[in-house]
Amino acid sequence: MTLMDAGVNKVYRITDVRGSGSFRRRLLDMGFTPQCKLYVAGIAPFGGTVLVALRGFTVALREDAASMIEIEAA
Amino acid sequence: MYQIALTGNPNVGKTSLYNRITHSMEHVGNWHGVTVTETSKKILFDHNEITITDLPGFYSMTVYSFEEGISRDNVLAGKQDLIINICEVNNLARNLYLTLQLLELDVPLVLVVNMMDELKKQGKVLNYRKLESFLKIPIVPMSAKYHSDVHLLMEVSLDYIKSGATNTVALTYLDKLPIRDVESIISAAAVRAGFKPRYAAIKVLERDAFVIEKLALNDEQKQALEQIGDWQARVAQYRYEFIDSVTEGVIVSNVTDEHHEMHEHEVHNIPIEGDGELPPDSVATDKHRRHHDRHKEKEKLYLHGYSRIDRVVLNKYAALPIFLLLMAVVFVVTFGLIGNWLSQLLDFSIDKLLYEPITKGLHNINTPRWIVDLLGEGIIHGVGGILTFLPQVVLLFFFLALLEDSGYISRVAFMTDGLFRKIGLSGRSAFTMLMGFGCSATAVLTARGLEDDMMRKKTVLLTPFMSCSARLPVYATIASAFFAPGKPFIIFGMYILGAAVALGMAALFEKLKPLKSGKLSFIMEMPPYRLPTFERVWQIIWHNTKVFLVRVGTVIFALNVIVWVLSNFSFHGYTPVVGGRSILESVCGFIAPVFKPLGFGNWEAVTALVSGLVAKEVVVSSLLSFGGDLNAVFSGPLSALTFMVFTLLYVPCIATLSAVAKELGWKWMLFSAALQLGTAYLMSLLFYAIGLLFTVNVGLGVGIMIVAVVAVICVCVFVSMFRNRGKCAYGCANCSRNCHKRDRKKK
Repeated sequence: MTLMDAGVNKVYRITDVRGSGSFRRRLLDMGFTPQCKLYVAGIAPFGGTVLVALRGFTVALREDAASMIEIEAA
Repeated sequence: MYQIALTGNPNVGKTSLYNRITHSMEHVGNWHGVTVTETSKKILFDHNEITITDLPGFYSMTVYSFEEGISRDNVLAGKQDLIINICEVNNLARNLYLTLQLLELDVPLVLVVNMMDELKKQGKVLNYRKLESFLKIPIVPMSAKYHSDVHLLMEVSLDYIKSGATNTVALTYLDKLPIRDVESIISAAAVRAGFKPRYAAIKVLERDAFVIEKLALNDEQKQALEQIGDWQARVAQYRYEFIDSVTEGVIVSNVTDEHHEMHEHEVHNIPIEGDGELPPDSVATDKHRRHHDRHKEKEKLYLHGYSRIDRVVLNKYAALPIFLLLMAVVFVVTFGLIGNWLSQLLDFSIDKLLYEPITKGLHNINTPRWIVDLLGEGIIHGVGGILTFLPQVVLLFFFLALLEDSGYISRVAFMTDGLFRKIGLSGRSAFTMLMGFGCSATAVLTARGLEDDMMRKKTVLLTPFMSCSARLPVYATIASAFFAPGKPFIIFGMYILGAAVALGMAALFEKLKPLKSGKLSFIMEMPPYRLPTFERVWQIIWHNTKVFLVRVGTVIFALNVIVWVLSNFSFHGYTPVVGGRSILESVCGFIAPVFKPLGFGNWEAVTALVSGLVAKEVVVSSLLSFGGDLNAVFSGPLSALTFMVFTLLYVPCIATLSAVAKELGWKWMLFSAALQLGTAYLMSLLFYAIGLLFTVNVGLGVGIMIVAVVAVICVCVFVSMFRNRGKCAYGCANCSRNCHKRDRKKK
């Protein structure tokens, strides 16, 4: 499953980051690496943007970015 | 003469530190991407001349947006004697990721670990000596927000430079990567392009587009690289694994607190150091374990950047109402309660302490009438009229700064992103637009943080529609002359109208092919909530007061005198004495008929608008210096209101135009000016026409409005029905036609 299907207030483990080019690079550089745990903190009022906490910081991702991140329950 | 550059992730306090070292007043804020250009300043430290350069924040040497490129190019140019890399202690791992890349590049490096105050509050300590022993570079912990030992940092840095700084760190993770294979293929090309072979090899493995383009490899080399395989994810993973191994146990709980006391407690009778053997099944063990569990619990729940406040503030339903309520409070305090009272106090004292004694005194000693009028009407009433807005302008900037420093502005970007995306902008545009409430010219610069080029251009084009602080005196003066009781509502309405026009325009742009935004993702970090220090609050107030006073004293003063002279002298002499048309009346009388359909086609209003191009405050100071009677200029409330709408929407000022030209080039600047003038004229025309309809016949007016609204809704519904037949509402770039989004919507 991807981050898009994640439930709020739950912890997951990243298994893979798909996508290509500078966009994937940015996700990896920000610390979205396989095996890293992340916590889904919330979803934006208009939807489509998800708030994720990992490695000690919080970041907002749009659905297209979120759909690139493969996760599993942890 | 030494060169030192400050680098680091966004929002770690580079500019705060820069301000501390160089005693500057560069813009700081608690959000990511405040600094968008490089700034440098020379300082003298210990008989050494040092140039300190502040760079925009960046996450990685592989950049994603324009301002990050500035930092990368600066680092790659390698002109510095030393790079100070600033890390934030709260998310050390991600900060060290950049540090590792800088170490790979083999630049002389000193590490600053900032925000130690926040670590202390959590009851933890940083064992920076341990980190130092791994990374083999000097590390200075500090908190730049408070007075911290900048002196020590400079001393360490200078010593390091003088000792012929070199990195000796063993980056063991590099051995796991096929760097030698890549180097053997590209080393010649790397030297030609001016890169260090090892750095170029790592970047090639990372698929860094910038480096690969610079290397200009031939097909043979590219094929050889293909065979090495995809290492992109693994490079990042290995770096983070290395960081995890280095930082393990570096940040530990400070056990001097209650925990320590508990160990010493008689009942437990457990030695402080011996953590291992405990008597089984005793009360003491339970208590001890409970205590440890509580510590662990705290650790687990601690999420930096997300706090309990966010559960309410970012709640799906409460978020927007809370935001609007906050904005309403800000406006009511600024324009209604405190600001208005202070303004009136200032106005009263200027009138009683300056205007009356001076004009009377000059009359008594028989000064020529035009000098008295120039001083009394032109300068004291005109310029003084602007000066009375000092409290309101400063209050507005103060609240904007609070919005920035608390970290709330990033939340605004997050919660409006969904809306902004629909109109082809991103949540980050909300930053720029909110800054536009302060000053359009400086806000335009903050758009650099936007990744998509078209999105950036559109944000720059639309930001001037946000009502800046210079437009405030215009609304306030005219509104108090015509709509005294409803003044705060009129002003608030103007702000809303400006924002609505900007958003509507964005939606319109999105429909036009050449101005459509690219599909780019939105990745934005949330800063933690932070309290501004007293020092910072004082800085904001002092700085903005100074800027405002300088503006009033120079540009506005000079322009006001010119306008007054031109409007009171004809080609024959001083008009009130000689009689006849003044110079401005003759010139602006020409253009005036253009504004007849808007209800203010007279030369005074036109003069005010033209002079307002230099600075919007002058619109009102010119109006006041014509004699102070606004009823003579505007035929009634409707024409006054239309004038306000026009002022809101037309070209903000020359400074903004030149900022737009700097950001986007001359063609776009001309487009921007034409757009603003056109929008202002059309909107005012519409406004005046509708208003006229209502004043002529209310019933007819309401009827036509209802019909128009119904018609618009019908057309919209039909158009969307035809368009969206069978299409997914999300419309992703690479639609696979079987994703979960559609199902989710059905639920």
